[in-house]
Amino acid sequence: MPDTLTHPTVTAVTLDLTINGRRQRVQADPGARLLDVLRDGLMLTGAKEGCGAGECGTCSVFVDGKLIKSCLMPAAKAQGAEVETVEGLARTGDLTAVQKAFHKTGASQCGYCIPGMVMAATATLRDNPDADIEEIKERMGGNICRCTGYSKIFEAVEIARDVIAGRLPHTALDPEAVGNSFIGHNTRRLDAPSKVTGRLRYAGDMVMPGMLHMQVLRSPHAHAKIVSIDTTEAEAYPGVHCVLTCDDVPGEDGFGVFVEDQPVMARDKVRHVGEAVAAVAADSVRTAREAMALIRVEYDELPGLFDPEDALKSGAPVIHDYAADNVVKHIPVRKGDIAAGFSAADVILEESFSTQQVEHAYLEPEAGLAYVDHDGVVTVVSPSQNITHHRHMLSHIIAKPINKVRFIMSPVGGGFGGKEDMIYQGMLALAAMKTRRPVKLVFTREESFVASAKRHPSRTRCRMGLTKAGRITAVEFEMLSDGGAYGMSSEGVMRKAAILSCGPYEIENLKVDTKVVYTNNTPSGAFRTFGGMQAQFATESMMDMAAERLGMDPFEIRRVNMMRAGSLTHTQQKLASAAIDRVLDAAEGASGWEKGAPSVRGESRGDLDGPGTRRPCTLGARVRETATDRFRP
Amino acid sequence: MKRKLRGRGVAASWYGIARTATIDRAGAWAELDDGGTAKIVTGVTEIGEGILTVLAQVAAEELGIRPEDVTIGDNDTARSPEAAHAGATRQTYMIGNSVALAAREARGKLFAEIADHWEVSAEQLRAFNGEIWVEDTNKRMTMGEAVARCKARGVVPVGAASFTAHGTGLDPVDGSGSPWQAYVFGTQVAEVEVDTVTGEVQVLGIWAAHDVGRVINPRGVEGQIEGGVAQGLGQALMEEWQTDKGHPVTHGFAKYILPTSLDIPEITSILVEDRDPKSPLGAKGIGEPALVPTAPAIMNAIYDAIGVRMKSLPATPEKVLAALAAKEGAAA
Ligand code: FES
Ligand code: FES
Repeated sequence: MPDTLTHPTVTAVTLDLTINGRRQRVQADPGARLLDVLRDGLMLTGAKEGCGAGECGTCSVFVDGKLIKSCLMPAAKAQGAEVETVEGLARTGDLTAVQKAFHKTGASQCGYCIPGMVMAATATLRDNPDADIEEIKERMGGNICRCTGYSKIFEAVEIARDVIAGRLPHTALDPEAVGNSFIGHNTRRLDAPSKVTGRLRYAGDMVMPGMLHMQVLRSPHAHAKIVSIDTTEAEAYPGVHCVLTCDDVPGEDGFGVFVEDQPVMARDKVRHVGEAVAAVAADSVRTAREAMALIRVEYDELPGLFDPEDALKSGAPVIHDYAADNVVKHIPVRKGDIAAGFSAADVILEESFSTQQVEHAYLEPEAGLAYVDHDGVVTVVSPSQNITHHRHMLSHIIAKPINKVRFIMSPVGGGFGGKEDMIYQGMLALAAMKTRRPVKLVFTREESFVASAKRHPSRTRCRMGLTKAGRITAVEFEMLSDGGAYGMSSEGVMRKAAILSCGPYEIENLKVDTKVVYTNNTPSGAFRTFGGMQAQFATESMMDMAAERLGMDPFEIRRVNMMRAGSLTHTQQKLASAAIDRVLDAAEGASGWEKGAPSVRGESRGDLDGPGTRRPCTLGARVRETATDRFRP
Repeated sequence: MKRKLRGRGVAASWYGIARTATIDRAGAWAELDDGGTAKIVTGVTEIGEGILTVLAQVAAEELGIRPEDVTIGDNDTARSPEAAHAGATRQTYMIGNSVALAAREARGKLFAEIADHWEVSAEQLRAFNGEIWVEDTNKRMTMGEAVARCKARGVVPVGAASFTAHGTGLDPVDGSGSPWQAYVFGTQVAEVEVDTVTGEVQVLGIWAAHDVGRVINPRGVEGQIEGGVAQGLGQALMEEWQTDKGHPVTHGFAKYILPTSLDIPEITSILVEDRDPKSPLGAKGIGEPALVPTAPAIMNAIYDAIGVRMKSLPATPEKVLAALAAKEGAAA
C-alpha cells in the first residue's frame, strides 16, 4: 500500500492522463503504480488492491482500451494514456448493460471483486460480443471471487451479451414483478448499484483530514521471548507521530472470542510468525515503514510446538502459562452405552481422517480507521464481524467506559468468520488516542495471510458399528485440532464440531470428544461452519464406506439412520421436525441418481453427464499437465 | 483403464441456526417515515450475504411499503441497538425476526390512527407495496398519505423489538443440552471426472438440496449455496495453508490456490422450506450449512470414479496419484 504521492523526500513526476474521458494532471512518486495514482491521487477507489501482485483482478482497468491489472503497471508507463475505470463505464446515475445484469442476477455479494469483474466482463464482451460460456469463463479466469461461486456472474455476463447483441430485449434487465408478497420474491440486492459502479467505500477506501498511516512490525519467530524493544530511533524519525508497543496499553490487555489470551501487541513473548509486536503511525505509509525498520527487537528463541500431538506430550513447551497442558478446550458428548452398541453391531468400521488449515481469502484485506471524536469517544471503523463484542474488549483494554468506545462496521469485503477477531483494532485505537489524529491501517495481502486466523485443521478417528440392515448401533468419535498460537474461536469451534459430529442421524450410543490445543502455528479461528464441516467430512465418508461394506445405496443407508420428528440429537435434544428426509429426496430426484451401492461403479453408471453438469475444462487440464510433466523425473 | 474416469457421490449434513449453546438475541428499531418510506436501525452491515436486502424485504412486507423505500442504518455501537455478530448463520433468523417485530409495532401505531380516521377496526386494514386500504371498500390511500395523516394526529409510527433464540449450554460431563432452537439439513450430490494421469479432479456438477426454512429471497439463497459449494470445492481439492515450523509457505495467491471460474461446476440448488415454528418469519438460514456436504460428496464421488478413498484433505493431484499408485501396488 505505498502512498507514493506526496512523500517529501522524493521528487514527484507529473503525469498527464485522460481518465474516464477527462484530462487530468497528477503528481506521483516515480515508484507509484497506476493503482496508487487512481486510488490515492484521484480518489477513484473502484479499483481495489486485493493482492498487489497481479493475482486477483480487483484492480482491473482499461489502459488505451486494453484490460490491465493496475497494481502491476508503473504509473509512469501510463503517461499520456487513456484510462477507463469502473467509475467511467456508465454515465452518472446510469448503469451499463453489464452492470444492470450483475444487479439483476445477484452477481455481487460482498462486492469487493465486483468492480474488477465488471471490467473483465466488459472487456470480454468488447473483444468478442458473441463469446460463449466457455470463452467467458476463460477470459474471466484471472479474476477471483471468494463469495459467489461465480455462477451468478456467468449468468449476468450471458444476459448482458444477449441484450447487447439484441438477442434478448432490454426488459430482460428489468427487476422481476412482485406478486402479493415481498417474501419469496427475488428482490434485487439494494447494495448492488453501489458495488457494480465501484461507489461503495470499504474501510481501506476511506480518508479523513489529517489522517495518519499505520504500519505494524510483526514477529519473524514462531516462539520467542522478547528481551527488549528499542523504539528510540523510530520515535525520532521525521514524520513519525507515535510508536506503540504493549507498554502503551492503559487498561487490561487481552482479547479473544472465548478466552482473552491475546495481547494487543506481543507482551513478553511472541507465539507465532506474524504476530504484531509494535506499530508506527506516521504521515505516510512509506514513512511509517521506514521508521518501522528502525525498531530494534531483541528475541530469545524458544522451542516451538508445531504439531497438535506434540502439544499433548508431557514436557512439551508451554505456550500460555494459564494452560500448562496446552489444551484450549475439550468437549465431551456422551449418549447411551457404546460398549453395548458395538456388541450389537454386525460390522465395525474404524478410519482416520484429516483436514487442513484453510485461509479465508476474503478479497478485502483487513483495514481500519480510528479517531477520537469531540466528546472523547474512541471510534474504530472497520469491517469487523463482531463490533458488539469488540467494544467490550476495547473498553477494558483502553480503560474507558463502554459509551466512550464506539465501533462502526464498515462494508465487509468478505468475512466468512475471519473478521471476528479483533487483531488490529486495538492498535488503531491506541494510536488515535496517543496522537489525537485519525489513523488508518490497511493490511497487505501477505500480512492478512500471516496475521489472521485460519480454519481449524483436524485429525479425526471414527469407529462406527452397524447392523446388517445398515442401522448404526454405536459411534466413537475423536477429533484433535490445532488451535495455533491463540484461543480465538477455538472453544466454540470444538463445541460445534462435537454437537454436529455424527451427522443428521439418530444414534443411540455414542462417545464424542473434540479437543483443541495451542501450538506455535498460525492461529485457527472462526471459519464458515465453525468445525461442522471437518467433523461431518469424517462422518459422511464413513457412511459411504459402511454402505459399500453392506451393499447398500448411499441414500438408503442415510435414510435408515436419519433423524426424524421426535428424534433425540447427539446432545439429547428432542427435535420437533427434521427435514433430512426431504433434502435426501430432493437431491436424489434432482440429480437423477441411479441407485446402487457405492462400490466404484462410476464406469458403469447410467446417470452421468446429464443435465446439471458442465463440460470438463480442457484448458485447466492443459495447464496443469504441463506443470506436472515438468516435475516428472 | 481409461484415462479419465467419472463418478458420483453424495453427502448429507445438518447445522444449527444462530449462536451455539447460549441464549442469542438481537434488537431493532423501526420508523415509518415521511413519503411512505421507512428507517430500520439495527446492528447489522452487509458482509456479502444479502442481509440488507432481506431486512428491507421483511420490513417492506410488514409495513406495507416497497423494499427500495427502506433505509437501513449503519451498524454502529453508539447509534444502533445491539444485534451482535455477523456470523453463525444468524442474520436472517435473529435480525430478520427482530426487524419483523419492530416493524409490526410501528405498523400497529399507524394502523390504529388510520383505522380511527376511517372509522373501521384496525383488523380490516391491509397495506402492501406502498398503499393502505380497507378490504371490500373504496377506502384507500398511499402509505405516504397515511404517514402524514398519522403524524397530523400527533403520532410518530415507531417500533422497537428484541428477538430471542433459546439455546442452552451443554452439560460439562455428557454434553447434553439444547444448543439451538432451529436446525437445517442439506444433501449434495457431486459428479466428478478424475484424470488418472495427472491426478486432477474436476467437479462437473453439484446438486444441492437445502432446507432453509421459509425462503425470503430465492436468488440470495442460491448465491449462498453457490458460494458455499465453491469454498467447499476449494477445501476439497486445492486449498491448504501450509507452514514450516510455523513459517508460512503459502503466503500469496500464487502459492495459495483458490477456485477460479474454470473450476466451478454447474450448480443446481433445490430449496426446501421446512418453516421454523418458533419465530414470526419462519425463515432459518443457509450461510454456513451450504458448504458442509460439498467436500465429502466430492470425496465419495472420487471413490466412485477410481476406487481410492481420499481421507486427507485436500485431494490434490499429487495425493490422488499417490493413492492410485498405492492401490495399484496393493493389487499387483
Ligand atoms: S491483481 Fe492487482 S490487486 Fe490483485
Ligand atoms: S463478491 Fe466476489 S469476492 Fe465477494
